[in-house]
Order: sequence, then C-alpha cells, then structure tokens
Amino acid sequence: MSTSATKAPREVKKTPRAVNRVGYRARAQRREAIGLVVPALLPIIIFSVIPLVSGVALGFTDATLRRNAEINFIGFGNFIELLGDHRFWGSFGIGIVWAGSVALLTLICAMGLALLLNSDLRLKGLTRVLALIPWAMPPVVIAIVWRMIYNPNSGPLNGVLESVGIPGVNWLGDFSTALPAVIVVGVWAGIPQTTVLLLAGMQSVSSEQHEAAAVDGAGAFRRFWHITLPSLRPIIFAVTALDFIWQFNSFGLIYVLTEGGPGGRTMIPPLFTYLEAFRNREIGYASAMGDVLVIAIMLILSLYLVNQFRQTKGARS
Amino acid sequence: MKKIRGIGVVAFAGVAALALSGCQQGSASNGSDGDEGGAVTLQFQSLSDQPATQDAVKSIVDEWNGENEDVQVEIVQAGWDGTFDKLITQFTGGTAPDIIHYEASSIVSFASDGYLADLTDHIDDDLKADISEGIWDSVTQDGEIIAYPSTLQSYMVFANADLLEAAGVEMPSGDTMTWEELREIAQATTTGGNYGLGWGLGSPTATMMSLSLGFDGGYFEGEGTDASIEVGDAELAVPELIHEMTYTDESVEPTSLTQSGSEVLASFYGGKVAMTVQGSFQATNIANDAPEGLNWVALPPLEGSAGAIQAANPQTYSVNIDSEYVEESAEFLNFFTSGENLAQIAYADALIPSSDSARAEVETLAADNPAWTQVLASGDGLEGPPFLKVEKYTEWKDTIATPAFQQYLADQITREELATQLTDGWTDIAD
Repeated sequence: MSTSATKAPREVKKTPRAVNRVGYRARAQRREAIGLVVPALLPIIIFSVIPLVSGVALGFTDATLRRNAEINFIGFGNFIELLGDHRFWGSFGIGIVWAGSVALLTLICAMGLALLLNSDLRLKGLTRVLALIPWAMPPVVIAIVWRMIYNPNSGPLNGVLESVGIPGVNWLGDFSTALPAVIVVGVWAGIPQTTVLLLAGMQSVSSEQHEAAAVDGAGAFRRFWHITLPSLRPIIFAVTALDFIWQFNSFGLIYVLTEGGPGGRTMIPPLFTYLEAFRNREIGYASAMGDVLVIAIMLILSLYLVNQFRQTKGARS
Repeated sequence: MKKIRGIGVVAFAGVAALALSGCQQGSASNGSDGDEGGAVTLQFQSLSDQPATQDAVKSIVDEWNGENEDVQVEIVQAGWDGTFDKLITQFTGGTAPDIIHYEASSIVSFASDGYLADLTDHIDDDLKADISEGIWDSVTQDGEIIAYPSTLQSYMVFANADLLEAAGVEMPSGDTMTWEELREIAQATTTGGNYGLGWGLGSPTATMMSLSLGFDGGYFEGEGTDASIEVGDAELAVPELIHEMTYTDESVEPTSLTQSGSEVLASFYGGKVAMTVQGSFQATNIANDAPEGLNWVALPPLEGSAGAIQAANPQTYSVNIDSEYVEESAEFLNFFTSGENLAQIAYADALIPSSDSARAEVETLAADNPAWTQVLASGDGLEGPPFLKVEKYTEWKDTIATPAFQQYLADQITREELATQLTDGWTDIAD
C-alpha cells in the first residue's frame, strides 16, 4: 500500500512528458538486468566462448605452431583431407568402442551397486562413502595405480593368477588385452558418479508401489523390472549419454595407461588429435579433427536420444 | 539506475583487469629482466635427471655464477618425459627459457620451425676444433649450427656374469660382439622360466634406427623436406633379428618388448633375464641400484654386417631465438661444454662426451671401471645418422614408426607389412 501511495504522485508528475510509462520501466529493468548479467557473462565469453569459436575457426585454416606462422584461410581443405585419413577414422572407431562399452558396462555395474546401496544393509552410510572414493581420485592417479596392478612382472593381478596356476598376462602390452584392460579401468573410474545418480533416482521411487507389488506376489526381480527400471528410464538415458560424451573425450586416463599403444590399439581420438597438434604441430588440421568429433558425437547422441524418447512415448500411449 | 550501472562498470573493469593481468603473466617471457644492478639472469632448462648429473650441472653453474657477477644462470629442472610437448607449448606461448637442453633428433623440428638461434658465430674456436665434424654436422640445420652437442648415448648389452657362467657360456672378449654371438648366448642362457635377453622396446623406434646403422640401414636419404625413405633388407635386419630371437629361438622375454628400459632392469636385477640391452647411461643406475652380489658386466659393442656402428644422436644445448641474451647464453654454453665440465657431466651420466678433450678426461676418471671401457669403446662406432636431417622425423617416429614396430615385435604383422607401413606412412606425412 505504502509503495503505491508514494509512487502515485511521481507518476502523475511524469505523465505529461513520458511517452509511455511501461516502456520506461521495462527499459530500466532491462538495464538493471544487463548490469547484473554482464559480470557473469564476461568470464564466460572470455574464457569459454572466444576460445571455442577460435578453436572451431582454426579448423578452417592452415595454422601451424611455427614461429610467427602465417595463418591462411583454406575453407574446407582440412576436412576434405580428413575424409581420406584412414588413421583418423581408425582411431575414431576405437573411440566409439571405448566410449560405448565403458558407458554400457558402467551403467550395468553402477545399477548393481546402486541396488545394493539402496537396500537396507548395515553400515549403509560407510559403504556409500566407500563407493564414492574412485570419484575423488584424479584420472592420472587412477591410471598410475592401475598400471601397477596390471604390471606384468610384479603386479598383484598377475601374482594372483600365477598363484592359482594361470600364466600371467601382459595386460597393457598385449594387442588383444590392451583395449579391454583400459575399458575396465574406465568403468571402474566411472562407476561412482553413475551410481550416485541412479541411487538418487531409486530413492525417488515411491515405496508404496513396491509394497503393493510385493503384496500382489511380485518377486524382487519382477519388482525391479516393472517398477524400478521404468521409473529410472529418464535417468538412465541421461547418464549413459553423458558417460558416452565424457568417455569419448577422456584423455588423461589412457594417456598415462598406454599412450595409445601398443601399436595404436588404444589410440582414441583425443590422443590422436593431441599428437597431431603437439607432435606434428599442425593445429589447423588438429582443430578440424576436433570439429568433426563434436559433430559426430552430436549426431550419434541425437540418434540415440530421439530413438529413446520415441520409445518412451510409445510405451506411455 | 545510475548506481547499478556504476556497479556494472566496476564489475566490468574488475573482470577486465583480472583477464588482462592473467594474460600478462602468461607472456612475461624469459624472466630475464636486468633491472637489478644490470645483472642478467639466464634461465637454463636442464633435463639431467640422475642425481649425480644434477649435482655436476649445479656445481658447474655455481662456478659460472661465482665468476660472472653480471650474467647469472638459473637452473630450471625438468625431466625427459614429455619434453617435446612442453617445449612446443613454451615456444608458442613465448615462455621458453633462454637455454634449452634436449637431443639432436628432436630439436630439429624446433630449428625448422624457427625457434632456435644460430650459434655458428658464437661457438668457441677451441671447442669447435675439439668436436668431430660428424657430430657438428648432426646439429647443423640449413648451414646454421643450432646447438652445442654435449653427450652421446650408445646401446650396450649388460649381462649377469653368474648366469652366463652357469650356462657354460664363455664371456665374449673381443673388441666387438656380433649379433650371432648375442643370439647364441641368449639361447644358451634361456632355461626354465628364465630368458636369455630382456629388451625394453616399448618405444622401439630410436633403438631400431640406431642399431640398423650397423647393417648399413639408414632409412632416409636427402635432407629437410626433400627426404625420402627406403626400407629394405638393411633396414629390416635388426627388427627381424629381434623378431626371430623372440619367436623362433624364444630367447627374448616377450613381455620386455612392451616395457621401458628401466622396467626391464627389474627383471635383470631379479635374475629373470641373463642379459639386457640398455642405453649406456643405465650403467650408472645399475651400479647404484643393482642388488648386492649381482655380478654384472658390460659386453662389447654389438657389431652388424657393416661394423659396430650406432647413431650419434647427441644431447644438445640450444638458445632460444627470442631470448634477449643470445650472446650471453652462448658464452655460458662455451664454458659449460668445455672439456673439463663436459667430462664431469658425461661421467656422472655414463654417456660418451662429444669433445675429444672431455673424452680423454673421462678415460682418466674411469680408468678403474670395466663397464666404462665398453661404454667408451662403443663410442668409437657412433656415426651421424641420416634421420637427424629429416624435418618430419619426430612426426614419423611417433605416429607411424612406433606403432608399426610395436605391431611387428608383437608378431601382429609380417616383415613385409612392416616395410609397407613405414614407407606408406612416410608418404602420408611428407606430402
């Protein structure tokens, strides 16, 4: 009441001059909003948008890391060259296998772990914290620890195998085991965050539904299949999609574990791009690779998500 | 409203100031500002990672700093791992140090990218005469000397004398040892779960390129961007021998072929392999780390059909072209690589010094050390390899040759496929 009372005389005073009052207030509000947004926007523009745009733009140039290098715009030259680069596409294939299997296996393992942590066990608090520990470790540390575990001569894994009479395996050095071994590490490192998200999802499933189903005689597996899983569906989509993106772009883990070896068997696209940029010093070409990777990932994911949403819709109607 | 706009402006100014100061920090290059009494500070990025060598480098630098008040040298300690990536970022970001330690085959890329100063006119005449033409040639690019060569590595065979004796093998005593002899010893000492030879070939290219010279396998012809590759019998001799020893004789531990040299040393210490091929610098590590009672020896240098020849790929000290103190840096390096100083570094690292006077000095320092006799003997066969002149060698090495050799050593591809991969890969890169 008091505000309108004080405002009223001012507005009366202004009426003759102001062309429209609403416009003035809206403009003032907009200015206020800009004043508030700019400080937050500026760092985003400087540290995120500009580097991103210039990175994308570099893909259309012949930039190198030479001293005082001349940079020329060459249109789609890099992309045309990239089309015929079988080593890049080979690496791309490895990236898909790596990211796809890590995302899928992480989901399965994390689902099991989340179900376990969701059930009413003793020391629930402690086990939940323990499950989070891999999350707190930086990828480089994880990779170093696993290198030790996989060590063909003195690693505990081969030690256990040999003690039961199975000959040791050169996990990271053998052509057939290198990629699977690396995937296991990726899954191990990815489980915690997926578990946490799934656990949160499970706790939002109402217990009445479970109880009702139990009364109707549904066993644990049927309850999981018909109640837990459907209500977790949106979370599962989101988590696998995110996992796929993260894993496809992961670098530190594999760089430390194998450096892309043996014989390029674990050369995922970020490593390949890194070599092109910093060993071959062709950053224009490397940026073009980056551009292609972004587009490819977006295509794959949009196919996946559109397909999943269509299924969800179909299931509902 | 005015107040709010004011806040906006202040916030903007703050962010801008932050951003700008951030940028400035990034480009404050070289740290060599001479504002205090005119003294110049040179940053010297050293890669020497063995403690004894670090001490040697430090005492030389301390001696220089004591004698030269106006040109102070500051050591920036770095490691060999990832040096290439580190340097390329330092150079492009304008934060590279004044004096750069590296090795001839990798520094070529930086020279051709224009980051290294021409030192031709700065090198001391005595030093120039003291180092052989061939070694100077290995650090010359387009007629410019771009680095001071310091020490050279050769590949040595270290053996567990007790295991050789137990297998009834006579210790090779000639000036050189043929590959046949190595093969026979390896076969003789392969018993039960133990192998005759452990060879850390996880990154195989450098070893292959170097030892292939013993069979006259040069891989490259021509210089700079015109270089062409040739992979024939001479080039494939060494990979093939190792392959046969591993899969026909089964005398090489297959796991070791995927490991690094130092990882294989653990097997050598544990008596799981009777011999191991390592860079000569490992002599220092073995002397320090080998378990008590391990009776180790260095065998004579390996001899191929063309002689006991290996690649001379010296460690180098270069000067950043953007340094404000190229002349001072070169002056320091003249002092640093003088006979006596170089001998100290080479001796600590178990490497062969590039200059004759330093070699003579090391011979006296190492008179009573039998391993050193072999290290120095292997130094006689060091020759400038063709790949040092090839501009895109590092690129070929990391993206083509290393995976190809790894595949061949793991028996995933045939000899012919190896040759094709090496050749076609080069064609892909070169054009």
